[in-house]
Amino acid sequence: MSLFIDIPEDDDQLPAINKDSGRLLWIASVDHKQLGIMYLWLALFFFLIGGIEAMIIRAQLASADNDLISPELYNQIFTMHGTTMIFLALMPALIGLATYLLPLMIGANEMAFPRLNAFSFWMTCMGGFLMYFSFFAGGAPDAGWFNYAPLSENNYSSTAGVDYYLVGLILTGMGSIGAGLNFVTTVLTLRSPQMKLNMLPLFAWMIFINGFLLLAAFPLLNAGLFMMLIDRQFDAHFFIPSTGGSAILWQHFFWAFGHPEVYILALPAFGIISEVIPVFSRKPIFGYKFIAASTVAIALLAFGVWIHHMFAAGMSNTVNGFFAASSMLIGIPTGIKVINWIGTMYKGSIRMTVSMMFAMAFLIDFTIGGLSGASFAIVPIDWQLTDTYYVVAHIHYVFLGGTAFGIFAGIFYWFPKISGRHLSEKLGKWHLWLFVLGFNMTFLLQHVLGIIGMPRRVYTYPADLSYWEILNLVSSLGAIFMFAGIAVFLWNIYVTLKKPRQAEDNPWEAWTLEWATTSPPQLQNFTSLPPVHSRRPLWDLKHPDNPDKKLN
Amino acid sequence: MPPQQKIQVYILAILSMLMIKTFTSIFWTNADDSTNQLYTYFGIAAGCILFLVIFFTYYFSKKYRAKNPDELPEQKEISHKFELFILIVASCITVFFLILSINTMQKIQDIPENPKPDLVITGHQWWWEASYPQSGVLTANEIHIPVGKRILLEVNSADVIHSWWVPALGRKIDMIPGLKNYIWLYADKPGEYLGTCSEFCGVEHARMRIRVIADTEEDFKTWTKSQLEPVITQGTPLFDKGKSLFEQKTCTNCHGINGTAYSENIGPNLTHFGSRKRFLSDMKPVTRENLKAWLTNPQDVKPGVKMPNFIFNPDEVEALTEYIYNLK
Repeated sequence: MSLFIDIPEDDDQLPAINKDSGRLLWIASVDHKQLGIMYLWLALFFFLIGGIEAMIIRAQLASADNDLISPELYNQIFTMHGTTMIFLALMPALIGLATYLLPLMIGANEMAFPRLNAFSFWMTCMGGFLMYFSFFAGGAPDAGWFNYAPLSENNYSSTAGVDYYLVGLILTGMGSIGAGLNFVTTVLTLRSPQMKLNMLPLFAWMIFINGFLLLAAFPLLNAGLFMMLIDRQFDAHFFIPSTGGSAILWQHFFWAFGHPEVYILALPAFGIISEVIPVFSRKPIFGYKFIAASTVAIALLAFGVWIHHMFAAGMSNTVNGFFAASSMLIGIPTGIKVINWIGTMYKGSIRMTVSMMFAMAFLIDFTIGGLSGASFAIVPIDWQLTDTYYVVAHIHYVFLGGTAFGIFAGIFYWFPKISGRHLSEKLGKWHLWLFVLGFNMTFLLQHVLGIIGMPRRVYTYPADLSYWEILNLVSSLGAIFMFAGIAVFLWNIYVTLKKPRQAEDNPWEAWTLEWATTSPPQLQNFTSLPPVHSRRPLWDLKHPDNPDKKLN
Repeated sequence: MPPQQKIQVYILAILSMLMIKTFTSIFWTNADDSTNQLYTYFGIAAGCILFLVIFFTYYFSKKYRAKNPDELPEQKEISHKFELFILIVASCITVFFLILSINTMQKIQDIPENPKPDLVITGHQWWWEASYPQSGVLTANEIHIPVGKRILLEVNSADVIHSWWVPALGRKIDMIPGLKNYIWLYADKPGEYLGTCSEFCGVEHARMRIRVIADTEEDFKTWTKSQLEPVITQGTPLFDKGKSLFEQKTCTNCHGINGTAYSENIGPNLTHFGSRKRFLSDMKPVTRENLKAWLTNPQDVKPGVKMPNFIFNPDEVEALTEYIYNLK
């Protein structure tokens, strides 16, 4: 039986901004390219808001016993910073890139469910704005991005903030589930007829696997969120111990989602790196099969490691030991991917574009994040360092040094395809160096802060603890460099978008199908497709004398 | 390798060594050598891996930089045996650390079947209630333990989740409402050990710090005895005025004093408050000035704290200070 399903072309073309005119089409459009771009703008918008919140946090912590902002406001701001960056900046950026590129990479003209695609975007968008509306409705959520019960219950968090958090995340969660369903179905049904599953570009493969992760993880979160909403609105007792509930149950729900979420944010970035490094090393990726297979292993293991977020919660040595083993196990496929990427550079002809430099910054900083992550699998170390600034450093090395550097690499790589214009390489280098240096300055030191005893989520700290103040001050100064880097990035986008469209179809001489169409693509992505017989169809087209091994 | 690159490699090596050093020397903990040993081993392994990744990323980017943009390398991958080799090495490292961590866990966390705690700490928003079931001492925030003895600590919480962490005395443990958790504390020499609540617990989480005072066996006995003595009930006229104010102004609805009719524990127990060195979970030293500032407006000193501002007039503050400060 064939997996391919013929989807009839609509007689009426679906609405899209390129086809008709009229401002309402920004809302009505279901074109995957336009939605992808809207996702990216949304992500940039919230990335800036989350960044401003981060700057307020670093300003408050720059000196001991500082009273720049009140503790109540500080708690709202760090909660919103975490929630924003994870759910409203990184997720939309990755889903946006995937929405834009997935059909192009597999030679399709649209996603499998274009209307669901629009629905997903608008759910994410509305969820985000609803969450921010809480600032005008009595106070933002203030119980941290993982919202531990019973602190987040009515008794201890009486403003409506947590309710906005719950409803907002339920909406974005629904959007993410829709996106996951769309990714999986699109890959299964709309690939170019010649393209077998083992010929998918690695980015498309990672998005495919990510689709399953989204489908399995977000319902767990939404179930938990609904239970807490029922607790708060209808006085149920799921997570309230004093009336028979269980405080720790919330943690199980949250982290059973939360750990797969880490990989939901990491896998697409792995995919971007797996596209960028080979193209700029002018060589095929080293170990396609291993990278693809280990991604499946990671996706499965991701659901069996969540207790490592709760090693200090007092579970037995047996339970902790089991999850220590699974957490260490998941480090192996992740770690070897780094070897694959470095191995791809070996004996290549490396072009040092900004995109490639971001990919290399990713390799180093993600390794640091991965190693500090591995230290949490060693339970006795976790018993000391969990919930300290060491974790703060770790999460930022994974999400910023990993995912965000991956996204930057991807933006610089695909910008000519998406907009028809090249981002300035010169400004890009300023952006890169300011951001990478500032990033390491801010977060490398936070490992030390955690080790010498600074807990996370504190609005201030006493002045008489040695090294705390100076380390925090340097950390805050690093944030200024990062902020400057982002300012350069914005300027770069602004000046680039004012230039006329002049990018070639395939400026990087890349090998995957998205580069076979115009830059930017027409509303109908492809009128004809090149033959696909290997993982690098455009290589085969250009080098008929030396084609890759035929896979179909 | 040209000399310039050699220098760069040396710098990298020194940086990696510094990372290892950070991992191994800066830790406060002296609670158990096995955790320190784990840190050291992990620091060495992580430092080596990081060094290799940085070195090869950097070195390849220099060595294989394209001389001209159209250059095409041979389209060949490294042998997959290399992948297999790395896989085996990674698995060995993992097994090594797994065995080591499970051994260490069992050494640190060997709680008896029916635990009889020496010390019970209950977390409150944002203070610590401490009771010693063996001797019957009940106090708050200032926690004393004897040195050279493993103390079995039971923790729980009266409201939200807190987390007990005094790095030099032992592991971290969450204090979860409705659950009892146990760990061992051990101090090898007398002194004061700092720690902090490490689970976000609301507005004043940052000010929920811990100071454990480890006494010699003898000092601990003396302290225990002094804590069990009845509080004084009569003193100067100002003291007596303060005492009656304490009763009238509903202080007793939250604060207990052992040996009197007041046994509420919504706020910290004030028995022998004057004997304590610091108050407000280690925020301020116990002095008349600090106490006055606190009683004048608690929300000024520690914004968001559960104690309301009673709008005492200065005379009342004076009297209450005299009373509480002299509860020795």
